[in-house]
This record gives sequence, C-alpha cells and structure tokens, in this order.
Amino acid sequence: MKLQGSYTLPAKREAVWQLLNDPQRLAECLPGCEQLEVVGVDHYRVRLKLGMAAISGNYTGSVKLTEKKPPAWCRMSVEGQGAAGFVQGEAKIELAGEGNQTVVRYAGEASVGGLIASVGNRMMELAARRILEQFFANLASQLRT
Amino acid sequence: MATATRYMGRPLKRKEDPRLIQGLSHYVDDLRLPDMHYVVFVRSPHAHARIRSMDTSRAQTAPGVLAVLTGQDLGNAVGVIPCAAQLPEMKLALRPPLATERVLFVGEPVALVVAVDRYAARDAAELVEVEYEPLTPIVDPEKALARGAPVLHPQYSDNVAYRWELEGGDVGAAFQKADKVVRQKMVNQRLIPVALEPRAVVANYKPGENKLTVWSTTQIPHLLRTQIAAALGVPEYIVHVIAPEVGGGFGSKLNVYAEEVLVAHLAMRLGKPVKWTESRRENFQATIHGRDQIATMELAVKRDGTLLGLRCHILADLGAYYQLLTPLIPTLTGLMICGCYKIPAVRVEITGAFTNKMATDAYRGAGRPEATYFIERAIDMVAAELKKDPAEIRRKNFPKPKEFPYATPTGLIYDSANYPKSLDMALKKSGYRRLRAQQAKLRRQGRYLGIGLSTYVEICAMGPSSAMPAGGWESATVRIEPTGKVNILTGASPHGQGQETSFAQIAADLLGLEPDDIHVVHGDTAIVPYGIGTFGSRATAVGGTAVYTALVKIRDKLATIAGHILQEDPQRLVFRDKKIFLKSNPAKSVAFAEAVGAAYIAKALPAGMEPGLEATHFFEPSNFTFPFGAHVAVVEVDPETGEVHLQRYVAVDDCGNVINPLLVDGQVHGGIVQALGQAFLEEAVYDENGQLITGELTDYAIPRAWDVPRLETARTVTPSPVNPLGVKGVGEAGTIGATPALVNAVVDALAPFGVRHLDMPTKRERIWQLIRKFKPTGSRPATKRVGDGRGRRGRRKR
Repeated sequence: MKLQGSYTLPAKREAVWQLLNDPQRLAECLPGCEQLEVVGVDHYRVRLKLGMAAISGNYTGSVKLTEKKPPAWCRMSVEGQGAAGFVQGEAKIELAGEGNQTVVRYAGEASVGGLIASVGNRMMELAARRILEQFFANLASQLRT
Repeated sequence: MATATRYMGRPLKRKEDPRLIQGLSHYVDDLRLPDMHYVVFVRSPHAHARIRSMDTSRAQTAPGVLAVLTGQDLGNAVGVIPCAAQLPEMKLALRPPLATERVLFVGEPVALVVAVDRYAARDAAELVEVEYEPLTPIVDPEKALARGAPVLHPQYSDNVAYRWELEGGDVGAAFQKADKVVRQKMVNQRLIPVALEPRAVVANYKPGENKLTVWSTTQIPHLLRTQIAAALGVPEYIVHVIAPEVGGGFGSKLNVYAEEVLVAHLAMRLGKPVKWTESRRENFQATIHGRDQIATMELAVKRDGTLLGLRCHILADLGAYYQLLTPLIPTLTGLMICGCYKIPAVRVEITGAFTNKMATDAYRGAGRPEATYFIERAIDMVAAELKKDPAEIRRKNFPKPKEFPYATPTGLIYDSANYPKSLDMALKKSGYRRLRAQQAKLRRQGRYLGIGLSTYVEICAMGPSSAMPAGGWESATVRIEPTGKVNILTGASPHGQGQETSFAQIAADLLGLEPDDIHVVHGDTAIVPYGIGTFGSRATAVGGTAVYTALVKIRDKLATIAGHILQEDPQRLVFRDKKIFLKSNPAKSVAFAEAVGAAYIAKALPAGMEPGLEATHFFEPSNFTFPFGAHVAVVEVDPETGEVHLQRYVAVDDCGNVINPLLVDGQVHGGIVQALGQAFLEEAVYDENGQLITGELTDYAIPRAWDVPRLETARTVTPSPVNPLGVKGVGEAGTIGATPALVNAVVDALAPFGVRHLDMPTKRERIWQLIRKFKPTGSRPATKRVGDGRGRRGRRKR
C-alpha cells in the first residue's frame, strides 16, 4: 500500500517541527492514541485503539525516526500490530514553509498482514487516509491554540 | 425371499428436513453446558516468521480469563497434527498444534485464551503479545521449487514434499507415432470449501468417571476419537465423540484439526467444559483448502482423432503442512487422468510443493475434478486442433460397454459403464445439433454462444482398504427393538447427505416395513460401532451395503423364527406390510412384531438359536466404483462486457442403481453449483506476502441463486457389480463433471476470437481483455451487446 499526500498547517515550520517532536502533544493528535511513551532518542512506543470495521481493535507499535534534518524533513519507520494483524512501513515527511503556513508532504509505503489484509484490504487505503486526515486536522487545531 | 422394492428407487422426501427447516436441529454451537468456558485462538498474521517472544502476562490477568496457553506451555501434552498419507520418500512436515518457533501460514495458531465467555476471551486474546521476525514468504509453488528459493522446513534442502510417478504402456512410442501433440498448461485454482456451518468443538471431562466427551462438527467421528486419544496419550475408551447435526463439510471436516485436539485437552487440563466456534474469517484461513494444481498436459493423437498417449506433469501446492490426507489428493488426479478414454500409454509425474499457505486437502471431488478438468479441456483442444466435433472425438475414444470391467493403464479397474449411452442422452436432451446450428447463426449476428461438453468418469465408494490410508470398509448394526421398531446404526456419519432417509428406504424394503418404522442413528461413538465416515461418495455404496448386509442377516434370523412359528420353510416366506407370510399362501402369516417379540421373549425359539435381534456387518468392498456421465453447458458471452451467461445446463449422470432420486438430484444440483463457483467465480488468492486477500465472503465469490439456471438432469442406470445394491455414489459427480463442461462452453464461445484456453475462474475482465487483444487475420468478428444490457447479472458487482 502506497500513501502520499500533503496538508497545509497554519503555522511556521519550526512550530510544526516542534509539535511533531513533542511526545505529549503528538499523542493528543494521534487518532485513538491511548499511550505514547518515549523509549529512546526519536523512538516511541504507541498504543492505539481503532474503531473501523474489519480493522478495529487495539494496536501496539513503535515509531522511529531513522533520519532527520530539522526542520525540513525526516524519515521514519513504523510498525504496529494488534489482533487484526500488523502494519509495517516507512515514510518520508517534508515540511515546506510558505509564509505563516507550512505544507507537510508525506510519502510512504506500508505492508499489512493478517485480518487487516484478508478482510480489510479494499478499505485499507481509505482508512489510512481517514486516519491521516484526522491526524492533520488535530495538528492544525493544536497549532491554532 | 425376494425383496420387493416399494421404497428403494422412490423420491421420498427427506426425514431430516422437517427439523432442519424448522430450526429444530442441534449443531455443536447450540450446545450449552453449565460453567462452560470459551476458547479463542491467537493466530499468526504473518505467512512466514520466526517467533521471537511471546508475552501472555497481560492476557492472563484480563477479566474473566481462566487460562492463556502457548505452545511452550503445552510442552508435549498434545501430539502433532496427524497425516494418514504415506507416499514413498515423502518428507514429513510435523505440525505442532500451537506454533512455538516459527509460523508458516497466516492463521496458524500460536496461543489460546480460555475465558468465561467468548467476548472476554476475544478481548484477552488481543493482549497476547507476540514478537515476530518476518521471513521471506514462499507463495508461488513454481518459485518455491526454483533453485535457491528460501526453504520452509529448514531440516530439508528444498520445498519438494514428494515426487510421485506413474507409467503404463509405451509412452515414448506413442508420442513418436503421433500425427499431432496437443500441449497445454492449465491451472486448477485453490478453492475454499465454505461449509455453511463453520467448525466447532465442545469438550467436557468428568474426572470421577474419567470420561472425555467431545462434540465436533466432523465427517469422521470414530477416526477423530482414535486421533484424539493418540494425541492426548489417553486410552481410547475414555474418549467419546459426538457429531451432532453437521452443516455441510465437502471434505473440509474430513480431518483432524489442531483446534479439535486442543479443545479436548483443555477440558481435561482445566476441568471445565470448553467451547470453540470458528469464525468465518478463521474458516477461510485455517480450515483446509481444495484443488491448487498446475498441470501440463500433452496428448499424442492420430489425425483421425484416436488418442495414443498422454503425458502429464502436475505441480500441487500443498501449503505449509499436511492435514489428514493432503499428499494423497493429487495422486487421485494422477490415477484418473485418462478420464473415460482408451489411452494406451500414460505417464504422470506429480510434484508436491510446500508453500506458506493453509494446507490443501479433500474438497468435494478431491483430485478427480482436477483430473476431469485437465483431460476434458485437453480433449476439447484436440477437437479444435483437428477441426472435429468434440462429441465425436469423445465417442471415438470411449471403451465399449462390452469391454467392462475395463483396466486402465494407470492400474485401475473401471467396474461398469456405458459411455456412449450417456453421451447420446445428453446430446439428445440438449438438442446438440440444433444448438450448433443456432451457434453458427448467432455468430453471424455478432452473438457468441458456447456449447461445452464433458464426459466424465470418477472413482468413488472409497474404497477397498488395500487402497486406503486407514480402512475402506464401513460398519452397520441393525437392532430391532422388542416392539418391532428398527434402529440402524451406521458408521457413515452424514453431514447433509440424507442417510436417515435412504437407509430407512433400504431397511423398509428388506423387512417389509414403512420408513417411519426405521430410525437411523449415526455420529456417536458410544452408540455406533467403529466406522469410517462419509466422504469420497461412499455412504451408500459402502455404508449402505453394510446396512443391507446386516439387514439380510437379521431378516434370515426373523425368517427362521417365523418359519418355526408357522411351521413353514423360511426360504418360502415374504416380508411385506409388516407381516411375514408364505409366498404361495399370504393368509398364512405372522405379524412382524410378533416374530420380533418371539426373539426377545425367547420361550419358543428354534433349537440352538440365540435370543435377541441384532446384527452387525463390516462391509469391505472389492473395488472402488466408477460413476460416469455426460454434461452439456450452454453459455452466451457478452463481447462488450465479457460477462458469461449460463443459459442451460444438461446433466446426464450414471451412479448405478438409485435408492432415492430426490437425494441424487440434490447431490447433482449442489455439485454443479459448486463447480460453477470454481469455473466462473471462486479463487483463493494469497498476495505476494502470503496474505490471504480473499479472506471473507465479501471477497470470495460463491455462487448465488441467480447464477444458476434450471438444471436439466437425467440418468442412465448401469449397476455396479461391486456391491449387492448395484449402487455407485453421486456426492461428488457434479463438481467432477461440471467444471470442464462450463469452461469448455466459455472457450467454445470465444473461439472466434482465437481463444484456445482460459484459466478459471473465467472472470469477465479476463474475457474482455482476450476479446480486445484479438487481432483478426480476416475481418474482426462482429460484436453485439447481449440482450438489452440490463440483464439480471448486470446488477452484480464482482
């Protein structure tokens, strides 16, 4: 599954970068996030609860920034698993400042397994997009406050 | 003592149906025991991975949880999953009931949770943490065999499970003499059986009595009992298996599964009744699959259409581990590859491959649908190549009726047949000549009618024990109660076939009673003597013959008693209308119930006779039986959309003598519909990562009512000499005969577009592409939309 897109956030890119690197505020923005714990430098453990048809359930996973150039871009690897299966992927996130706004561009590839793949494959991309939309919308409202 | 056939041969309505259609029958999942606990399995989401660690601590403390167990926790308490098949140099692939070190297919269980209800169990299952290290999945069986491919079972050097060869006649000479050789690679795709009732197991252990009762939705209660005892290391006499109402199996319940053995173990280990009911998603991932063979067929033929030789290589995708009969199924394809044709020289090579998938095993037809598909498609290609009518090529190569019993070069003896007769009847009933004329006319109008033939023979009534992995006989006990009512205990435990009706018909005729006087008991190892089960279209030919023979024994005894009462020769007595009377003087009679009573009261029995009325017979057949038939499918393909419209289906089947034509028609109908599923719709798809992406009924298309036209069935009757009833078997004939007829029809419809072959399922997008790709040498065939474009199938989005 390939995912790419962009979202414009209402803040300068330094502020966006800060937010993305603040575990507590990030946790508030992640849809369904029940716990986000720092396990090392640029390495987080996450517990999510998702409620979408075939992929609903509890997931645990980790996010690791594998490479970064603040505040311009970073690469991350993501893995998660739950009763409905697993997700593994890599993504690159780029921040481009445009006046008082920041355009976030993301591109990534993920493989899924288990029930998520066998019963959710047709809705996976849609579901991932919805989760991302929600995430960015939450980021935007964090940045406005 | 002639037997009047008042009920045998009559279309009696099924005794089973009133309870089934009123929802009054009881399946395993209907069972509720006091203090029952529920099992949920934690299954691998990976096709191939090493298990790095498992942490069950959070699940252990979740509300309502009684136990959480991994393979480590089990230790040696539960044995490996049994496989009854043994082939020369076959590699073993022993599967622990819970994976401990590595997982080899998506859905393989790694842990289990037992809790007070299934919701608590399911919530806790989510808390079991398993860390996997993914390994390269091996999905494509051809790539699995390539040099340097990663190996599934590290104790071996490659993924070859076994190689099997068979040769008869001079194959080299046959191909040298040939005017033409027709070659084709064909895929018989992986299917998911989808029994309406998923698997379910309940187990209860009473320590005081030392009694373990296991209810399972199985086709083989006695074999399951033996295997549970072996896996748990307990005496067989403590295990009691009950198969209550079973909602379909199609071979998917002809097995011994990890879950059955584990649930039995849990009941003993925990001292609580436990239940596991499979979800449909688990049913897709972890119940056996069917078919999955790739064949390369080569037929050597003379210009006049005479078949000289056949070479066939089959690559069978067996999945990661063997279930009960996994390695054997492709060998049935090899044995039946000649179909109903005289082919003097044959060579078959089979390679079984391990892949990271669920095991394949017996699925309705089990190896014979594949054989029939390969040979029947190849015969059509011969006809096309030689520009001859496919009916005539078939007829030319049939063994003649007087040549039976007929020995094939694959070493089988076909018991009895009249192939030209069934073909003639199918051609006549379908109006074959008219159909061909209509096809030519429609083609000129840009419409594409396809007419597909299949003349099949299959091997069933399994079977002589010498040719079976674990017993090919069947048992029956006839027990007549003092009141004159009859119990028939059969080892052929049904799962929808209707033995309660057909066996009652046999008994009613032999004893001169009504079917309602007869009660057929099955599926309970504490009541029924050891039996084999229902599969391989054996219930009537083997199980029914056991019933028949036990009935003859009991009738002889009753005749002796009646003869003693009447002071007449028992040989001259007739059983009819609940009386036993003198054939020459019906007034001289004794009531059936009176003769039965005499056996129990035992005051006036003939000297030396044992009291009581019970007889058991274990029937061992001398050979398989070989039912056959001829099917004609008529389709129209819409060249604009690639849609296939099945317009007519004519099936002429010969299953020997018929006990109940309604049951036979039901079996034929169901089989044809399942064949239609394989031909047009169904396909179990694993993606390149070994994920089963057709994991639910939303993505796996089984036929619906509107896919099926009115089926036109007819029969010829060629009794089998193998059993006294002259019956053959019909449970699988539909899936065996129909798939090639349907695909032959589609290919025939597409002939003007240069299509020679098309793999199943014949999906509309593939047909559409083939039509688009066609580069005509002359003028492009005209195309015209079928109907008004609002056909009933137009509503379907598939």
